[in-house]
Amino acid sequence: MEKKVLLAENQPEFGAGLEKALEMTPADVVYEIRDSGMKGRGGAGFPTGVKWNLAGASSSDVKYVICNADEGEPGTFKDRLLLEKYSERLIEGMAIGGYAIGGSHGIIYLRAEYPYLIPAIEKARKNLMNKGLLGENIKGSGFSFDVEIRPGAGAYVCGEETSLIESLEGKRGEPRNKPPYPVNSGYLAKPTIVNNVETFCAVPHIILNGSGWYSDLGAGDCTGTKLFSISGDVEKPGVYEIPMGAPLKDLLELAGAKDVQAVQVGGASGSTIPASEIHRALSFKDLPPGGSVIVFNNSVDMIEVLANFMEFFVHESCGQCTPCREGNLRLMDAIHLIINGDICCVESLTPFFELAETMKLSSKCGLGQTSANCFIDIINNFVELSGECECGECNCEGGDE
Amino acid sequence: MARNPQEIVADSISEFGNGRERIMQILTRVNNELSYVPSEAIEAIADATGVSAAEVYSVVTFYSFFSTEPRGRNIVRLCSTISCAMAGQGEVLDALIEEFGIEPFETTEDYRLTIETTPCIGLCDQAPAMLVNGEPHVKLTPEKACEIVRGLE
Repeated sequence: MEKKVLLAENQPEFGAGLEKALEMTPADVVYEIRDSGMKGRGGAGFPTGVKWNLAGASSSDVKYVICNADEGEPGTFKDRLLLEKYSERLIEGMAIGGYAIGGSHGIIYLRAEYPYLIPAIEKARKNLMNKGLLGENIKGSGFSFDVEIRPGAGAYVCGEETSLIESLEGKRGEPRNKPPYPVNSGYLAKPTIVNNVETFCAVPHIILNGSGWYSDLGAGDCTGTKLFSISGDVEKPGVYEIPMGAPLKDLLELAGAKDVQAVQVGGASGSTIPASEIHRALSFKDLPPGGSVIVFNNSVDMIEVLANFMEFFVHESCGQCTPCREGNLRLMDAIHLIINGDICCVESLTPFFELAETMKLSSKCGLGQTSANCFIDIINNFVELSGECECGECNCEGGDE
Repeated sequence: MARNPQEIVADSISEFGNGRERIMQILTRVNNELSYVPSEAIEAIADATGVSAAEVYSVVTFYSFFSTEPRGRNIVRLCSTISCAMAGQGEVLDALIEEFGIEPFETTEDYRLTIETTPCIGLCDQAPAMLVNGEPHVKLTPEKACEIVRGLE
């Protein structure tokens, strides 16, 4: 069942959340967000209030509020919709974040694929400025805040927050070593919060309605609602908002998925599950909910899907660390061997599964740590190997020995 | 008549400033206006920001949307990720290749057109999709895509 908050028809007036926040102390704003239990909507799921608390406690006269509008996970387009229609809400949420941590500079890092959204964002900024909800001394509170849009240039890895910061600083978008974390030393070495578009859009609603209201929207400690972009073999692809923790099958029903073979949740780096598991919950404890759900019906050859994803990761690995740079290439090799019929049994894939594990453990950032997920899931669940072994090296049933 | 790279860099710097953190904005401006980032622009950015030309070059080559080689004045970026692939992106690409006589990442001899394939552009709900000079075109068929590209200046 849909539960519309961010996408509700009747929205609170833009700026109402900010005006209410300005009557609270910054610490109370942070606590309200923390008590809501909201976890970052970009996919990693770090608690937003905890992030803000750390940045708020960091001492500096300059702090930055950065919106990660670099959604690049294959199958994700929820932030496109928010930027197009709710940029005022987004900027309002960023301003509340600025007030909470003590920062006056907002930056929207917009992916290069979305230049046509710039006018909508600029218009939203102007509207808020005209209402006195942005700029110097907002509503006489003494708090000032403004945002600027900064372009990406087509690099998936820049969705990783330290890569994004590197890019903003005019460098190659290669992830940083952590610590220090951005909350202590981020953009230009100043305390910085980086949050997803959807996260910032939810903030004014939480401030207006309270943390208790927000946590009641979800299930257990997976609080609030969540936007999902759904595409692939469905009748009604699009963006749907449902309570966090709802079963995947609810979403599939909304979008009209039929003859389901597999569903990928959380994009290429997420989980790929068979139709028998669609009762599972969209929550940080079960199926980690990024923004993307892609449905594959029974006519789809899943090894081709896997090849498509692996090509993506080979292209998007930044090349800085070896497990990711080389690992994705080797997994691609394995996929080609399977497609060409040169791999007979799961046993001969053992070195590749070991490599996948190594990549998870030793890659520097989330890209290499998760890119092998689709390889493991799809090979294990959806790929039937011939079993007619001629390699003479393994012990499988088709083997020579 | 295209402006010279130094002029674009100088203009961008007067608008954005000459801090290193402005490099992406300056590069984007140059890349959008000239379809690529020529070495003269890299030198000019290096001079203005105090970052070495080698390092500016390393930034340019990191990002897919930037190019150090001249490209067409129209750039078509056809999404090649799975939702678009499942919706018939392959046929669209084949039709473009056949009609315009260039493979992905090639440019026509008259520099009218460059075709690229690109990872997910966030239009999966309206697949297959492409960006033409940054503008989205969705629910493509081979005929529709060719017609759009034919109509470019």
